[in-house]
Amino acid sequence: MNETEHDRWRDDIAAYLLGALEPGEAAELERHVAGCAECEQELQRLRPAVRVLPETVERVEAPAALRGRLMEQVRSEAAGSQTAPATRQGSRWRFGLRPAVGLAALALVVAAIGGYAIRDSGSGGAKTTTACAKTTAFAGRSPGITAEIVCQGETGTLRLANLHQLPAGKVLQAWVQRGKQVVSAKALFVPNSDGTATATIDGMDGVNTVMVTAEPRGGSVQPTSAPIVSVAIPQ
Amino acid sequence: MKIRASKAERLADEELMPRIGEKDPDAFEVFYDRHGGVAYSLAYRIVGERGAAEDVVQEAFISIWRSGARYDRGRGSVRSWMLGIVRNRAIDFLRSKAGRAPKLDFDDDAVLEHRPAAELTDAEALRRETTHELRGALGELPGEQSKVIELAYFGGFSHSEIATMLEVPLGTVKGRMRLGLEKIRGELAGGMA
Repeated sequence: MNETEHDRWRDDIAAYLLGALEPGEAAELERHVAGCAECEQELQRLRPAVRVLPETVERVEAPAALRGRLMEQVRSEAAGSQTAPATRQGSRWRFGLRPAVGLAALALVVAAIGGYAIRDSGSGGAKTTTACAKTTAFAGRSPGITAEIVCQGETGTLRLANLHQLPAGKVLQAWVQRGKQVVSAKALFVPNSDGTATATIDGMDGVNTVMVTAEPRGGSVQPTSAPIVSVAIPQ
Repeated sequence: MKIRASKAERLADEELMPRIGEKDPDAFEVFYDRHGGVAYSLAYRIVGERGAAEDVVQEAFISIWRSGARYDRGRGSVRSWMLGIVRNRAIDFLRSKAGRAPKLDFDDDAVLEHRPAAELTDAEALRRETTHELRGALGELPGEQSKVIELAYFGGFSHSEIATMLEVPLGTVKGRMRLGLEKIRGELAGGMA
């Protein structure tokens, strides 16, 4: 590798540590660093400069009620209770069911939507299964990728895990299906470095299925690829 | 094996994590009491709303509770690991709120001024000196370098988004990030010397 190429990686390392590389670029850098001792050393050298950043934030007192809710949920789960977790009043987010609960009601989704068929895309793709409960929480799991939707009112929060990093120029886009109609949920997002991602979906009323596809940056009017995951919403 | 809270308080973070992995709520409580404050502060700094910051922290700590055994000593301190989780969740929140600009307040003192004085505890007051020292490293940076670092780390913007936003070439953004981190690294090394 010549020096110019190496300089390019060196500049990318700072952006990578700050979480500012596009997902495809981050994956490329990780592959390079895995085989380049010099860049690995540079990455480790600069890492403390990023780790100190959260410590520079001005301290704000955390509400006592937050501690109370958190410990209530933790003690409830430690005791094996199935009670719903405590949430902040008016919270837009709500925590989902534990996996053990969600998996109890797995069901394969076989959805074909007006010529736009959901299909297994191979080992990296996802046939989709879902679970539901009497609460407004829905959980889904598929090979390789896990998905969970938690609803409050008409707002749903989609949480994904075990996602692969996307190629450069690609984003994830969420879609909702009502009857046979599929429309964009107006949610574009990318996986975090740990393979998780979250998207807010407004207008869950009447939604049968929530899907996620990989689309060009900026999103698409209609899905242009098979879903990487879909979650059926029990009616 | 569950341990009494008083014993848990004497354990180092790295020793608490296996206990949390074994679903010991007392160990988790000690862990939260140690780090909940900085976690909430970071979440609030990123999302800019108290309610949303609470949600972010609750979700992050519950994920730690459920996956505490996954902590890997080789990847840094427990505190850094935890703060990384909080930061990711907070950035997730910003990204999921498509169409809403993230909080980009470059003057943290302005945030502080809006807080009731009673919110500052004695313990926090003591920690502020250390915090200000750390902030010094960031504050000493040229504005163009601290700006790209803040936009990336606290705003969750990619380098290309920052380049568009600031109307500068991509290479300039990356270069400023590297120079900024180099200087912070240098300050840290100097402080430790």
